[in-house]
Amino acid sequence: METDNIASGERFSLEVLGFMQLAIDQAKLALDNLEVPVGCVIVEDGNVIAAGRNRTNETRNATRHAEMEALDVLLVQWQRTGLTAAEVAEKFSACSLYVTCEPCIMCAAALSIIGIKAVYYGCANDKFGGCGSILSLHSSSSEACISNGNSGSKSFKCCGGIMASEAISLLRDFYERGNPNGINGDQPF
Amino acid sequence: MSSENDDAWPIVHVPGRPPVPPEQQLTVNVVAAQIEQPKLTNTIIRRLSQIAPLEDLHHVKRVKKNCLEGGKIQLSVILCLAPENGDFDGIPCDVKDVIGSYQLSPFVAKVCKYAALSKEEWVEQCKLWPTSYHQPTYNISGITGFSEEDSQSIVSFMKYALELSKSHGNVVVNAAAIVDPLSNQVIAKACDEVCSWQTPKTEVGAECSSSTKSSPEMTGCIEHESCLQRCSSGGPQQVETSISCLHPRWWVDEQTHRISSFWHPLRHAAIVAIESSAARDRRLFPDVRYRDEATREECILSPAKSQAKRQKTDGTDVDNDDKNYASHGNGDLSSKPYLCTGNDIYLVWEPCTMCAMALVHQRVRRVFYAFPNPSAGALGSIHRLQGEKSLNHHYAVFRVLVPQDILNKAKTSITGS
Ligand SMILES: [Zn+2]
Ligand SMILES: [Zn+2]
Repeated sequence: METDNIASGERFSLEVLGFMQLAIDQAKLALDNLEVPVGCVIVEDGNVIAAGRNRTNETRNATRHAEMEALDVLLVQWQRTGLTAAEVAEKFSACSLYVTCEPCIMCAAALSIIGIKAVYYGCANDKFGGCGSILSLHSSSSEACISNGNSGSKSFKCCGGIMASEAISLLRDFYERGNPNGINGDQPF
Repeated sequence: MSSENDDAWPIVHVPGRPPVPPEQQLTVNVVAAQIEQPKLTNTIIRRLSQIAPLEDLHHVKRVKKNCLEGGKIQLSVILCLAPENGDFDGIPCDVKDVIGSYQLSPFVAKVCKYAALSKEEWVEQCKLWPTSYHQPTYNISGITGFSEEDSQSIVSFMKYALELSKSHGNVVVNAAAIVDPLSNQVIAKACDEVCSWQTPKTEVGAECSSSTKSSPEMTGCIEHESCLQRCSSGGPQQVETSISCLHPRWWVDEQTHRISSFWHPLRHAAIVAIESSAARDRRLFPDVRYRDEATREECILSPAKSQAKRQKTDGTDVDNDDKNYASHGNGDLSSKPYLCTGNDIYLVWEPCTMCAMALVHQRVRRVFYAFPNPSAGALGSIHRLQGEKSLNHHYAVFRVLVPQDILNKAKTSITGS
């Protein structure tokens, strides 16, 4: 594990811990539904505007991670209210994601395509992590080929180790019970 | 490549790390020692493998055998990795004990850092210190070459994907086809749905089932390659930027969205194809536990998606095989597929990082692409996910090269000469 949570009460603000608790609630919801327990919330101006949790077993689609679920909610919602692509991009660039486990390489890439402002995560993801563990997609923006700068990906702020032990113990619970369909999602161990 | 066969579409393996000349392979330093009493070799090795296993050097043999003049054999053993500063004081205590108790004289040796990808590399490696050379341990055919029949089938599926990417009229998009190589059938197909989240207007023709299909019109790849050439020479034009995996952030500037159609920055062709194969999986092998919940959620969250899905289901070409599968698969849970295990995916362009990792998650067996993605490709261009050791699944990656004479013709017709 990259970071430990022993002094989390001191290291992280109450606000950050509060949002992570909501992400953990989502992870518990996943666990109750026999899914790998990873959950997230997206926050704009201090308000939770979307939540997501793993759905890989139910959908038999191993890409339906918590982050993708939450992003989909906002994309549909914002388009319904008539926002243009530029306006949606603007809104995402003011949003933070709180997720119980370090985003995998796929989700980290998706978050940089979306252009999220910041990611706060719980435990590290030693097998698939895209925010420092395996690749560092949060800090490697690429702007190749086109001069307007919107072709590649956008970097985002990233901070890990928030309530990591809670996130890990949920994952332990899950694997002790046995994974019913065996679709592993973000399994970090 | 072969001049006698102008129709050849060479299929090239894209290895998990950049190829290097055999004599320029990366090495690491280890501490080794000669074993003066061969009888002790097994005891020493057993002890060392407990206290100093060579975690990342499984391809390196622990013992090196030298035949000296007169038929005498000299054995050397790797004790441990060399300490970072090169100072023998940094050797772990347990290993120091071994050195002491057998009175070994440690020296530094070089071994190759990565397992050999080819026989040529292996021969060079063994000049430093012996390694083992295995055909790839995962059961993926093709790395050592394809049979004539397999090649034909691969090329015809790639042509199918090229046709698919033309089905958006003037807009060039990436296209993906997921194939079950056992039945030789396309089980899911998709194009980018970044700017219009709906099914393509023009349907691709008959179901592609391998070698019997005659060579389709080549205008598709001509367009692709010429737009790729323009892109790499720096001329930004709408037609090139519309390929999602090449320019993942392009959605921000896209102006042509109509209010009526939904768009989605993450609906790259590979992601949509995975979604479609998962939907097929749920349809053919329904799981009562989730059925009601899934339907409800889909309607609440994304009416556009379920609408698109209905259209897809009404279409006839993708799921012709569904009935057969269903009758075989009914009530037989053992035949229920696990994600895309055993399936291949054909992509016109090398996937971006998001798509490449999605294909790892979905357990695809082989990835074939026609054109590299120099700005954002994750299977050879910018990253090589197929070589990331820590991932729990690895697919094999191949590039299918569009024949040079076709590309030359394309160039000529574009410049008008
Ligand atoms: Zn993920
Ligand atoms: Zn992509």
